[in-house]
Amino acid sequence: MVLLLASAAAAMRGCSRSYAQLLSQLQNQANMEENPNLLLEPYIHLQDLDTDILRNSCMVYPSVFPSEDALRALSKPGFLRAVHATLGRLWNSLTALQKQLLQDQDLPRLTITKHNIQGMRNNIHCLAWWLGSPLETSEPTQGGSRVSLTPTPALDVFWSKMKSCRLLWGYHHFIGLVGRVFREWEDNPNRSRRHSPLRLVLPKGTRKIRPSRRGQRPVRRAQ
Amino acid sequence: MLFLISSCLAVLAERFQLTPQLLHVSVNSSLQRVYLQWTIPNLTYHQELKMVFQIEISQIKKSNVILVANHSSAVRGDRAVHWSWDSELPLECVTHFVRVRGALDDARAPQPGSWSKWSPWEEAHVSLGPNELLVYPKEKLVEEGSNVTFCWISGVNLNNISCYLSGIAIHGERLDAHVSTFKWNNVLFHRDTGTNFFCRHTNPTTYDGVTVFVSKVLEEPKDFSCETRDFRTLSCTWKPGVDTALAWSKQPSQRYALFEWVSGENKHCELKNSCNWQITQDSQELYNFTLTAENYLRKRSVNIAFNVSHRVHPKAPHDVNFDDVSATRARMTWRVHSRGKSHTFLCQVELHCEGQMIQEHNVSVHESGEQLFGDLQPDTRYKAQVRCADANHFWKWSEWTPRNFHTLEAAPSEAPDAWRTVTSENGRRKVALFWKSPSKSRVNGKFPFYNIVVKNMENSSEVQQHALQAPVNSTWLSLGQSSYLIQITFTNSQGTSPALVMGISRDSGNEEVEAERVDGTKEGFMISWKPQTRDVVGYVVDWCANSQGQHCNLQWKNLGPNATSTNISSDAFKKGVRYNFRVYEISAHRIAHLIQKNVGYIQELAPLKSPDVILSNPTSHSFVLNWTTYATESQPGFIEGYHVYVKSKDAQCPQEWEEVVLKGDTHFSAPDTLRREVLGYIFSIGGSTFTTKPSLPYMLLQIILSMTMCVLFLLGLCYWKSQWVKEKCYPDIPDPYKSSIRSLIKSKKPPLTIMSVKDCIPDALEIINKSEGTKTQGGGTGKLHAENAPTKLAYLRLLPTEGSSGPGPCICFENFTYNQPASDCGSCGHISVPPRDPPYHLELLTSPNNLLNVLEKDYTNSLGEIPAEQSSLNYVSQLASLVCGDKDSLATDPPMPQHCSEYKMQMNISLSSMILLGQGKH
Repeated sequence: MVLLLASAAAAMRGCSRSYAQLLSQLQNQANMEENPNLLLEPYIHLQDLDTDILRNSCMVYPSVFPSEDALRALSKPGFLRAVHATLGRLWNSLTALQKQLLQDQDLPRLTITKHNIQGMRNNIHCLAWWLGSPLETSEPTQGGSRVSLTPTPALDVFWSKMKSCRLLWGYHHFIGLVGRVFREWEDNPNRSRRHSPLRLVLPKGTRKIRPSRRGQRPVRRAQ
Repeated sequence: MLFLISSCLAVLAERFQLTPQLLHVSVNSSLQRVYLQWTIPNLTYHQELKMVFQIEISQIKKSNVILVANHSSAVRGDRAVHWSWDSELPLECVTHFVRVRGALDDARAPQPGSWSKWSPWEEAHVSLGPNELLVYPKEKLVEEGSNVTFCWISGVNLNNISCYLSGIAIHGERLDAHVSTFKWNNVLFHRDTGTNFFCRHTNPTTYDGVTVFVSKVLEEPKDFSCETRDFRTLSCTWKPGVDTALAWSKQPSQRYALFEWVSGENKHCELKNSCNWQITQDSQELYNFTLTAENYLRKRSVNIAFNVSHRVHPKAPHDVNFDDVSATRARMTWRVHSRGKSHTFLCQVELHCEGQMIQEHNVSVHESGEQLFGDLQPDTRYKAQVRCADANHFWKWSEWTPRNFHTLEAAPSEAPDAWRTVTSENGRRKVALFWKSPSKSRVNGKFPFYNIVVKNMENSSEVQQHALQAPVNSTWLSLGQSSYLIQITFTNSQGTSPALVMGISRDSGNEEVEAERVDGTKEGFMISWKPQTRDVVGYVVDWCANSQGQHCNLQWKNLGPNATSTNISSDAFKKGVRYNFRVYEISAHRIAHLIQKNVGYIQELAPLKSPDVILSNPTSHSFVLNWTTYATESQPGFIEGYHVYVKSKDAQCPQEWEEVVLKGDTHFSAPDTLRREVLGYIFSIGGSTFTTKPSLPYMLLQIILSMTMCVLFLLGLCYWKSQWVKEKCYPDIPDPYKSSIRSLIKSKKPPLTIMSVKDCIPDALEIINKSEGTKTQGGGTGKLHAENAPTKLAYLRLLPTEGSSGPGPCICFENFTYNQPASDCGSCGHISVPPRDPPYHLELLTSPNNLLNVLEKDYTNSLGEIPAEQSSLNYVSQLASLVCGDKDSLATDPPMPQHCSEYKMQMNISLSSMILLGQGKH
C-alpha cells in the first residue's frame, strides 16, 4: 500500500494541480504548434521543395497519424493515450530529421517543437491521471517512445525529404485536430460520463486522489 | 635461351586462345562507374604475361558502340584484371553492353600477337513497369563546376513527362521512346541540402525525383606552419578555407591529416585548423610535413620542411622582478624558458609611462636577464615589459610579460610658479596669492605642503608663516602699507623646493595706468610694451581667464628680461568677452611694477543689452535722458556711442524719425533745434519709447491761433462781399473835376478833350484795383498756414555716421508756400527712418511718390534746370507775398529776383542733404 501511494505521488509529481489549467496549457500548445509557418514552411524552403507540385505531394496526411474520425471515436483516456503515443513517435522522428541537417541552426524551430512535444506529452500524462486513467508510463516522459517514424534507409534523399515534409504537414494537421478536441472538452466537460474530470479513478489497489472542492488541489482521501 | 622462350610464346599464342573471360561486372550508381574483372583462363597458375586488352561498350543496342578502350596489364593465371569506366550518362538510363578481348604485349615475343576472340557481351539494363517513372542518377554528389546528366525512364503507358530542376521546368533530349536526358552544365553550389530534380506524369499521376548534392571545391590549406614552444610538441596551424560539408550525411566536413616523411608517420587531425605533433626523443631536427585536406571528391595537400630549432616560439619570460628601485632608477630581472646555457635569446624590454613608451632596450639572455632603467621621474608609476625570441634563428617573439613599478619620492626640484594681485582696502592691502599646481617634475612626491613666509622689510620682527596643503592653490594675505617680501616653497616627505620670492612695495596696488586697447585675433592677443627701467629680471603678464562678473581665474605668463612683447593665447578666450591684461616688470629686488594695461576682445560682438534709460525733466519742449548705469565694460564690444531717435508727436508718417548720435555720453538733453513737442525716441542699440505730453499753454495757443485764423478768414470774406456788392450796386462815379489831368489840359490845350497816353510822362503810379491787394493778403495767409502746419522735419546730426559721405550737420526746412507738391511727398520723412526697421524700407521702395524720383527732381532743380512754368509760378508767388506786405517798399525798393532764388536754393540745399543722409544710412 505504501509503495502504491508512493508510486501515485511520484506519478503526479510535477503535474499542475488544476485540471482546467492543464487543459488550457494543452490548448495553447496545440494552438501554437498547428501553425505550419513555424516548421513546415521553413523546411520546404530549406530542402528545395518550394514548388506547387511538391507542395501538393507533401500535403498528404500520413497514415502514422490517427485520423480525425478515429480520434473522435475514442474516449477521453483513449484519446489521451493515442495522442501521447503519437507524439512520442513524432518526437523520435523529429530527432532523426534533425540529424540529417548540417546544423541545428538550419531549422531552429525544430528544437523548440521537440520541447513543446515533450511538454504536451507531460501535460497529457497529468491529464490522464486527473481522469483516473493513467498512461502506462509512471512518470512524465523526458523523451519519446522507442517506436520511430524514421524514414527507412532504403529511401533516397529526395523521397526522404518528401516523407519528412509529409510528416511535418501531418504534425501540424494532427496538432490542430488535437487542439480542437481539447477545446471541445472545455465547452462540453461531460462528454464522457465514464471519465469525468471531476472524479479521479485510480488504478486498482491505488488510493484515490481527489481535487479539493475548489477544484484546484487534489486531496488524498483516507480509507 | 631467348630463342627458346620466344618460340614457346609463339606456340602459346597459337595453341591457346587468350580470350578474356569476364568474371564480374558491377556498377556504382552514385559514381556512375562500371567495374569489370576478367581473367585469361588458359594461363597456368605461375605463368605471367604482359597483355593489352580492348574493351568495347555499347548503349541501347550492341551495335551502338560508345567506347573502345585499351588497357595494358600483366596477366597471371591466379590474378584477375580490373578495369573501370565512368559514364556520363547514369548507367541505369539505358542498357549497356560490355565485351573484352586481349593480345600479347610481351617484348620477349618475336612478333606482336593478334587479338583474341571477344568475350561474350555482358548486358546490364533496368526493368520497368508500364506505369513506372524513374529518374537518375540517384543522390549524385558532384563538385562545383562539374556537369550532371539526368535521365528519366518512363513505362510504356507514360508519354507526357514534365521535369523540373529546382522548381524550374526543363526540356530534355530524347534518347529513345522512353528515355530522355538533360545535361546540367557547370553546376553551382546552391544549398547544402541538395538541389532537387524531379519528373511527373499527370495521368496516371506519378512522379520521381532525385537530389543532387553540389559540393564546394575543396581549397588548399593556407598559411601552413609548425613551431615549438617547448621542444616537446610541434604545433602546426593552417587556414582551412571553406567547409565542404553537406546535409543528409552526404559529405562531412573535409578532414585533415599530417604525414611526416622523415619518420613516415601519419596523424589524423581532430581540428580543422591545427594539429599537434609529438617531437621524437631521438633528436630528429629536420621535419618534412605534408598536410592533406580530403573530402569525398578531392584531396589537396601542402608541404613544409624545416629544422625544428628554427621554429622556436619561446614562452613568455617569467620571474620578472624589480630590484633597487629608487627615485630615478630601477633594475629589472627576468628568466626565460631555456634549453641550456648554450642557447641564446634576444629579449626586448620596453618601459612605458602614462601609456607611452619612453625606453626600449634589447638584451641577450641565456637563462636570465636584467635591465637597468635610469632617468626616471620620482614618485612615478611605470610599466615595464619584456619578450624574447631565439637569437640565432629568429622565428617569433614570445608574448609580453608586463610588470608595474613605482619610483620613490624625491625632494621638489623647482620653485613654485606663483603670482599675486594687490588691492588696497581701508588703509590695508589685500594680497591674493596664486600658484599653479606643480607638475610631477617639480613636486617629485605626494601631498605637497605650500609654505608661505611674509617678512616686513621695514620691520624685521614682523614675520608671517602659512602652510597650506595641496590641492589648495591660492590664499590671500592682509598686509600694511610697508614693503614686504613673500617667499613661497613647497615640501614633500623628501624635502623642500627652492623658494619663489615676491616683493610688495609701498605703492603696490596703487599704480594708476591708463588702459590701452589691444586688438585680439583668433590666435590671441599680441601684448607689447616698452621697458621702463634697466634693472629688470623679467616681466609678468596677467589676466583673468573668465569674463567680467565671474570668478577671475587669474592667469599669468612669466617672461625673460629681454622680452618686449608676447602673444597671449588660450582656448578659453571667447568672442565678445573683454579681457584685461596687466604687464608688470620684475625688478632685481623681486618687486613687480605695473607698467601697462591693455584691454581687448578677440572679436567684438554687437551689444546685446539696451541701456536702462531714465527720462528726467520732461517739459513740453525739452527732456533729459540718462543711462549712466549702463555697464560698458560688460558689453561684448567697445561702446562707441549711442543713437537717439526723436520724432514729433504730430508726425503722420511713422518713419519720420530724427536721429541723434552721441559719442560716449551717457545722457542726452534735447537741443534747441529739437525744442518742440516730442513724441518719443528710440535707441539704435535697443528699443525704448517715451512720450512727452503737450503742455496746456501750447494747446491753448493752438486753439487761439485756429480761432484767429477763422476770424480773419470771415473778415476777409465779409470785406470781399461788401466790395462786390458795392461794385455791382453802387459803383463809384469818377469826378472829372477833381482830376489833376483836367487842370493840365485846361492850362495847355483847352480845346483838346481827348488825352493821349503816349504823351503822358508817369512820375507816380496809384493802384486802384483793390481786389489784387486782397489776393496778396491770401499769400500772407498762406505763409501763416505754413508756419502753423505740422512741423515736418528738422535734421540735426552731431556726429557723422561712419561711412557717410554726406555733408556735415545740417538743418532741413520746408516752405510749402513755394513748393506745394513737396508737402505731399513726405520725402524728408524717408530719410530719418531708423535703419533697423524693415517695413520702413519696404514702404520707401514701394511708395508711389518714390523718394528717388522726388530727390532726383529736386536735385535737378538745384542745378538750374527748373521748367519755366514752375519757376515763374514759384517766384511770382514769392514776389506777390512781399509786394502785398509793404507798399512803400515796393515804390522805393523793388523786389529782386535774387532774393527769391535764395529761398529756392535753401530748399534745394536741404534736399541735397537729405539725399546724402539717406545714402549715409544705407
